[in-house]
Amino acid sequence: MNKNKEQLLNKRYKAEQRFRLYGLSAIFMALLFLIIFIFKIFSTGYSAFQKTWLIVPVTFDAELMMLDQNPSKEDLQDADYYDIALKSMADLDPNANEDQENELKRMVSYFFEKEIKNELLNDPNLIGKTKEVYLTASDDLDQVFKGNYPRDLPEDQRRVSDYQLKIFDQLVANGKVESKFNISFFTNADSREAELAGIASSFMGSIFSILVCLMIAFPVAVLAAIYLEEFAPKNRFTDFIEVNINNLAAVPSIVFGLLGLGVLLAIFHLPRSTPLVGGITLSLMTLPTIIIAARASLKAVPPSIREAALAMGASRMQTTMHHTVPLSMPGTLSGTIIGLAQALGETAPLILIGMVAFVNTIPGSPMDPAASLPVQIYIWAESAERGFVEKVSACIMVLLGFLIIMNLFAQIIRHKFEKKWS
Amino acid sequence: MIKIKAKDVDVFYGKKQALFNISLDIEENQVTALIGPSGCGKSTFLRCLNRMNDVIDICSVKGEILINDFNINDKSCDVVRLREKIGMVFQKPNPFPKTLYENVSYGPTIHGMAQSKQEMDEIVETSLKKAALWEEVKDRLHEPGTGLSGGQQQRLCIARAISVRPEVILMDEPCSALDPIATAQIEELIDELKKEHTIIIVTHSMAQAARVSQNTGFFHLGQLIEHGSTDKIFKNPDNKKTQDYITGRFG
Repeated sequence: MNKNKEQLLNKRYKAEQRFRLYGLSAIFMALLFLIIFIFKIFSTGYSAFQKTWLIVPVTFDAELMMLDQNPSKEDLQDADYYDIALKSMADLDPNANEDQENELKRMVSYFFEKEIKNELLNDPNLIGKTKEVYLTASDDLDQVFKGNYPRDLPEDQRRVSDYQLKIFDQLVANGKVESKFNISFFTNADSREAELAGIASSFMGSIFSILVCLMIAFPVAVLAAIYLEEFAPKNRFTDFIEVNINNLAAVPSIVFGLLGLGVLLAIFHLPRSTPLVGGITLSLMTLPTIIIAARASLKAVPPSIREAALAMGASRMQTTMHHTVPLSMPGTLSGTIIGLAQALGETAPLILIGMVAFVNTIPGSPMDPAASLPVQIYIWAESAERGFVEKVSACIMVLLGFLIIMNLFAQIIRHKFEKKWS
Repeated sequence: MIKIKAKDVDVFYGKKQALFNISLDIEENQVTALIGPSGCGKSTFLRCLNRMNDVIDICSVKGEILINDFNINDKSCDVVRLREKIGMVFQKPNPFPKTLYENVSYGPTIHGMAQSKQEMDEIVETSLKKAALWEEVKDRLHEPGTGLSGGQQQRLCIARAISVRPEVILMDEPCSALDPIATAQIEELIDELKKEHTIIIVTHSMAQAARVSQNTGFFHLGQLIEHGSTDKIFKNPDNKKTQDYITGRFG
């Protein structure tokens, strides 16, 4: 008998140990996936925050720029910089033939003419002098410098020629290639050239979409939640509404995209590809999330507070507005932020309403065409150039950072302002 | 003087009847205790007097309740005005999660009883003094009311209730969540308050009913079995059930 009991005891201990092990291994697996994911993103993405520059001596030859003596500011604006730009690149190899000169030109971004122009506009005294100017390297050379380029492929299978590599290696050996923090990634709009593409347009697009979404979804959802929770009679009709709100929360987001396309664009003719339409579409998606969060936090306010207010002679409206709603706000707000964070990561509905269009301007208002961060990731992931690979990961990093900040904010609101009930 | 006159009050929760034919007169400026075993309907009756049962969807009240000869179950009765006149203190202390000052000034604010900040300060001070809490909290009026001890919280709730100078104060087992010392303080307070207010108190404790009340009503299974002066109910009840309950045979 005693022995039997001891066996049972041992069995129980072992079962508990096993159970603990299962739990630990589950957590370990989850962490492992997370680490692999983050490692992959960071290891491919971090290099996008660096940009490679070629330092090229440029001679600001007044004659080539078609400038007179003592040119005015306007003259400098209108001057022709293409020839001196071409010449400074060609001068990198004095023995270059015409084809090779063309290849030399393609070692920098097509933006190089503008970069040289800006240099002169900053310092008009440079006319007639020679100065070393930082020029954005082409995306392929950028990748070469970062060590991401398969140099050992046969020449006819890569976009960088042997000649370009030779000149580039010479420049590197002379210390004329430099890597600097990539500001243009944050300030430029999208571009077909990987070395110039940035997230400014999609970032602003995301911000505008989220703001529109917040301004529509929050008031509507909170009013709906207050009415349903505090005023509506409990009957079949309100039950029906409740079930449908829960259903709405489970509707795939692409369906909302179709709704936006069919109603907002086709019937109301709102401007296509704009954060306005994107925000309205996302607000449909966020609405049920906020309603559910707001109702849950209204429900969490103890009935004794309502009774206290009612017994003091407060009307139902006063009870709700003075006590219940303020007390439920922390929960509602953190639910709202989580809903917005979901909307921020949403891609499918935005693609349907046209926010997938190539936008190379930075939107100044919700009425301007824009992309959004997740859509930008999608667009770049589809692009063929090698330079976009790191951009995709970098954009994911920005989006993740954005989401983490929002979730952190939700947590802080919840912990700081939520009342503890005695 | 009779302050409240209940005539043939029936209360239903859905189809279930909770109170049967209650008729009870309540004397002005006296303490009336309602006693009886759990679920006998004494709290339900109390909540009829300020129409707190309105909050419960399925609850319906029939019969007349006259306060100052005015039927509060009449359609013309405005519950906000009614509850201004009839304050209530609940079983569990339920101060608003706001400062002490805001707790007490809430009623006067929504009923527009103070014209200036000074007037409001005065109302808060007198209410807290009447609730015997002033000395303990006068230095921390702007700290949250939920930071007080249980007994202090309950006195804060009493101060909140009397801040609008109600004619009647309903107390629903105000001491059941408190320790004996806090209970004694509240009982003393009730004795003081009855000079200005008519008090109806629901209590589980027969000793408490005997200590604080002048009149007692005994409820059992939704019926008012017996009512009369506390002395008579406790010493010489007419009904056998009352006798059994008082002496602790059931309940």
